[in-house]
Amino acid sequence: MRKHPRLIALNVLVVAGAAVMVFPFLWAFVTSISPGAGLSATPQLIPENPSLSAYAELLQRLPFVQIVLNSLILAILTTVFQLATSSLAAYVFSRMPFKGRNAVFAVYLATMMVPLQVLVVPLFVEMKSLGLIDTYLGVLLPGVASAFGVFLLRQAMNSVPTDLDQAATLDGAGHFRIFGLIILPLVRPALATLTVFAFLNSWNSFLWPLIILRTPAMKTLPVALAALQGQYTTQWDIVMAGSVVSVLPMLALYIFTQKYIIQGVAGTGLK
Amino acid sequence: MNKKPLAALGLALAAILATTGCGSGGSPAASSNEKVTIKYSNFTSNGGNEKNLATIVQAFEKANPNITVQVTTLPYKDYATALQTDLAAGTQADTFDIEYANLRSYVSNGAVAPLEGVDGSKYKQSLLQSYQSDGKQYALPSSFSDVVLYYNKALFDAAKVAYPTSSWTWADETAAAKKITDSAAGVFGDFQNVSFYEFYKALAQTGGKFLNDDGKSVGFNSPQGIKAAEWLAGKSGTTMPTPAQGAGTPDFDTKLFKDGKLGMLHSGIWVASSFADSPKNWDIAVEPGDTQKASAEFSNAIAVAANSKNKAAAQKWAEYMTSSDVMAQTRISAGWELPATSDDSFLKPYLAKDKPANRKAIFDALDHVALTPVIGDNQQKMVDIITNALGEIEAKRSTAADALKGASDQINALLK
Repeated sequence: MRKHPRLIALNVLVVAGAAVMVFPFLWAFVTSISPGAGLSATPQLIPENPSLSAYAELLQRLPFVQIVLNSLILAILTTVFQLATSSLAAYVFSRMPFKGRNAVFAVYLATMMVPLQVLVVPLFVEMKSLGLIDTYLGVLLPGVASAFGVFLLRQAMNSVPTDLDQAATLDGAGHFRIFGLIILPLVRPALATLTVFAFLNSWNSFLWPLIILRTPAMKTLPVALAALQGQYTTQWDIVMAGSVVSVLPMLALYIFTQKYIIQGVAGTGLK
Repeated sequence: MNKKPLAALGLALAAILATTGCGSGGSPAASSNEKVTIKYSNFTSNGGNEKNLATIVQAFEKANPNITVQVTTLPYKDYATALQTDLAAGTQADTFDIEYANLRSYVSNGAVAPLEGVDGSKYKQSLLQSYQSDGKQYALPSSFSDVVLYYNKALFDAAKVAYPTSSWTWADETAAAKKITDSAAGVFGDFQNVSFYEFYKALAQTGGKFLNDDGKSVGFNSPQGIKAAEWLAGKSGTTMPTPAQGAGTPDFDTKLFKDGKLGMLHSGIWVASSFADSPKNWDIAVEPGDTQKASAEFSNAIAVAANSKNKAAAQKWAEYMTSSDVMAQTRISAGWELPATSDDSFLKPYLAKDKPANRKAIFDALDHVALTPVIGDNQQKMVDIITNALGEIEAKRSTAADALKGASDQINALLK
């Protein structure tokens, strides 16, 4: 009972924080239903004459279903590949000692420090020599492995006691059975976290698909949405309508995996 | 052992091929009935004019049955990134859009081919010449737009001030702005961005030079430069909203004008379409000058890639997209910028349209143009340095003389 005032204060703080987080989304939504809206300095939260015309215009201007499908398929494939490659690599780094293992792992981590902008040109030249420009494979390949994913899953696997492996080894289990039947089920929260991160990164990735894809029908959502902005002026209501639509799948995914994510991030010491 | 000379020979051959552009039809297309596909990468149609571009492409393909044009459209702000990646990998399109500000760096990098045999009489001369370098034509202007003075007649009437005319000077503008400004009602007399793009123009209007004639140093650290900077920064907080009041945020100025709370606005002709009937009664005039007239002009152009395998067909398309009747008509009827053609007969329907009534001002402004100063690869750095210096003056953190001296030193260092 004595904690009561503190609890109220804490709740007020959390609600205020939530309001700050939600505000940009709310603004985007309001802008999308205000015809002819600008991004003026003071947003009106109650639109004067709300209309869904921007959404209709959006469907007219872009082959929207095709674009969402492109984004979705690429995101799902990227996620599946990253889960597979990261979990296998993480198992090796966590459970199979070999000479220079830590050095190799450090190199893995170092690749996280190189920004994509630096890699774009050499990566593009590489894709050109592989003949993968303007193909889905070209978009997908650079994202099939993720140093961040390996790091996240290795941390999670390290927290699984090795006694379990030893017991399984006595029962005659090999590495694949230990990996599949013991380790993976126990690091489920970390896998869920990586699922969201991988999906989100692919869903939002802009620079790489922009450069490698040429055919309009193959474009992904962020690239297609950028096509709504002119050289001198932009119809913000249509751009925001696109943004609102593009947030929905992520929102669904997050709600679905929310309880695992918090466990996953909290368990790795990552902020 | 004797493989080495062979390898060296191969390398030498490759180098020769690369430098002469042989082996890939550097010469005009062998025969005119050979079917070719050329690629066209553009940003100008992005954001709503894709269909209009398709119309022009179809007409071109009908007139040239042997040439197919493949169009890629990219957003303006990411276009340069994509183009530079392509140039690095050698995968650029046969023809691509460029802006005046980037021409010099593409020419010096050998990315664009000089064009020969172009009928120059079809273009507005000032625009055509801005894409020449060392006496060669490196790109063809496809469209242009310029900056004019928008004014709200109702506010002028209420303040009993005569409307702006083409003979107005800064002094007239200041006097009118002061009379119109009514802070209690949230009405401002004037709006002009305090930025690089307004500064080089204001500098030209007061007779100053941004770059010295040799192009190796800047000339804005001068009495004219100080006058231009003080003219721009001095509006803020007197007849114009300050950054704290929202100035400089996207669409702030146009919204203020639409809401009928702004007497005058310096902006490009591209915002005119959004003003249709709000405010109720508005028009445009050529921007006031100080000692002389100078208007900002922006143009886009189409270049042919130096490594194109079908230069003749590519140039044909570039010429069609910049000078054909179909292009001019399509642009005018769609309101997709203005064609850079010399034939003014296309402009009749455009000039006859109302709102703004004084469309002639758009073309009068071209008589005295202040072109964007261009320095090559450090262009964006220069833009940022000037805009930051003006911001310091506007916020009264620095005097115009000090800020311009600092900016001038920084930019001179870039030019070395």
